[in-house]
Amino acid sequence: MIEFTIDGKKVKATEGEFILPVALREGFDIPTLCHHEALGSDGRCRICVVEVKRGSRKRIVTSCLYPVADGIEVSTNAPDVMLVRKSVLELLYARCPEAEVLGHLAKKYGVENVRYSKDHDKGKCILCNICIRACAEIVGVSALGFSGKGMSKKVTTPFDEPSDTCIACGACVVACPTGHIFMKDDKGVRTIWKKKFPLAQCPECSRFHAPVEQLQYISKVTNVPLETLMVCQDCR
Amino acid sequence: MIMPNIELYAANVIPKEEYAVSGHRACQGCAEILAVRLALKALGRDTILTMATGCMEIVSTPFPTTDWKLPWIHVAFENAAAVASGVDIGLKILMKKGKVKKSDINIVAIGGDGGTSDIGLQSLSGAFERYHKFIYICVDNEAYMNTGVQRSSSTPFGAMTTTSPPGKLSMGQPTWKKNMVKIAVAHNIPYVATACPSYPFDLIEKVKKAKMADGPAYLHILSVCPTGWRTASDLSIRYGRLAVESGVFPLYEVENGTYRLSLNPEPLRPVTDYFKGQGRFRHLTDEYIDKIQKRTIKEWEDLKTLCGVK
Repeated sequence: MIEFTIDGKKVKATEGEFILPVALREGFDIPTLCHHEALGSDGRCRICVVEVKRGSRKRIVTSCLYPVADGIEVSTNAPDVMLVRKSVLELLYARCPEAEVLGHLAKKYGVENVRYSKDHDKGKCILCNICIRACAEIVGVSALGFSGKGMSKKVTTPFDEPSDTCIACGACVVACPTGHIFMKDDKGVRTIWKKKFPLAQCPECSRFHAPVEQLQYISKVTNVPLETLMVCQDCR
Repeated sequence: MIMPNIELYAANVIPKEEYAVSGHRACQGCAEILAVRLALKALGRDTILTMATGCMEIVSTPFPTTDWKLPWIHVAFENAAAVASGVDIGLKILMKKGKVKKSDINIVAIGGDGGTSDIGLQSLSGAFERYHKFIYICVDNEAYMNTGVQRSSSTPFGAMTTTSPPGKLSMGQPTWKKNMVKIAVAHNIPYVATACPSYPFDLIEKVKKAKMADGPAYLHILSVCPTGWRTASDLSIRYGRLAVESGVFPLYEVENGTYRLSLNPEPLRPVTDYFKGQGRFRHLTDEYIDKIQKRTIKEWEDLKTLCGVK
């Protein structure tokens, strides 16, 4: 058991934990976008910065990737922390001015005027890697990845072409913290990642209920016959 | 956005922390406690709940136990929204005086259909009008269930309850269901939505949107009640889906007056698919079912026009 303080309050944690989950558990307000309970930390969004004092040395660190240690003093709202957090938010907001979550956070932390020119070609994507991790770790198909470097870096399917491995399950849509990923069901066709996936039609009630690719994948993973899965949940 | 059938994977990304914990005394198959549980997951730990008398209050806090891991205030039947507005103002003053740290605290009032559309309507209307920043969640199980299934103004046409019994002189509930969502929209509040725990991701998304709204938000959640609806307790989720797919309870949201359909279930199932197996509709003759079907289609077409869907 490790003991340290957050904003003067004594907290306990087990070895190997990071500061962010401990602080959230104890009720401290640290904003985060790329940390996810089911997927863990990645250190991409960098708005979860805190100040850690170890002995006589102070540092600004990302709390989601800083392991807890005995006797450290963490401050979640020191002036330096707020300054760094504000600059990070300003940069993120300049990248994705359309993202409501960022607008909300910017307002909360007092980012009034953004000094940088705003991007309008990035959509709402802040490159947090959650969709890529969800696709690889939760679904297990790895249909997504980063492409390009620097300014042109983006999340996409390999070679920016319609993916063969994507099963159109939509886990990336649910996981995305900003709502960037586009998915639409219309007349038996689901559009996601620039590809059209046919939806399975239930033989009993003739309603469209799930992408054929997803059902095939579930059938492969769980060994449930595809004929059973093709029938929708309400008729099964 | 509605994503049918991705539960297998996406369920893993729902928050794992529980705020309405197990051990409560809700009936087997209760979709109402499920709706509250999912909503609280989306709200997180910085939440204050005020709750009107109703099923959820009865099952969650038989003295001296409690189901809630959040600050929870039980109020009388009629004033959940009034107390929520008091909490809002109180917090504002305490934050101004520096006694409470400035932070985003969600204030949530929860009421059943009776506590919302019958008894609590005037305090709710007042709180909307005063524009307090709070979320009102109406968990609608379409009658006063905890006192033994008495009709409310939210009971659908033709349904059997103990105070609208079918027989020689009556055919069940003689009036149509009150449209609470339209009443809330008429207050010009920033966010109004309908949801159903059979579509959990949609429900969570809508609660998150309500959290971000710049004023009062109203959520109307249809909660299947196996006890009062006389359905099998393992079919609650299915009946929620059938209600949506038959057009009886369409899922939509109204953001600043703009309607948007969350799910287009067309072609609609016949309402008989939804009524089948529900004891409360067992007595309905073809004549009444036809009447309900016609009204359902008309309301659905009206809603489609409002949402701009062809």
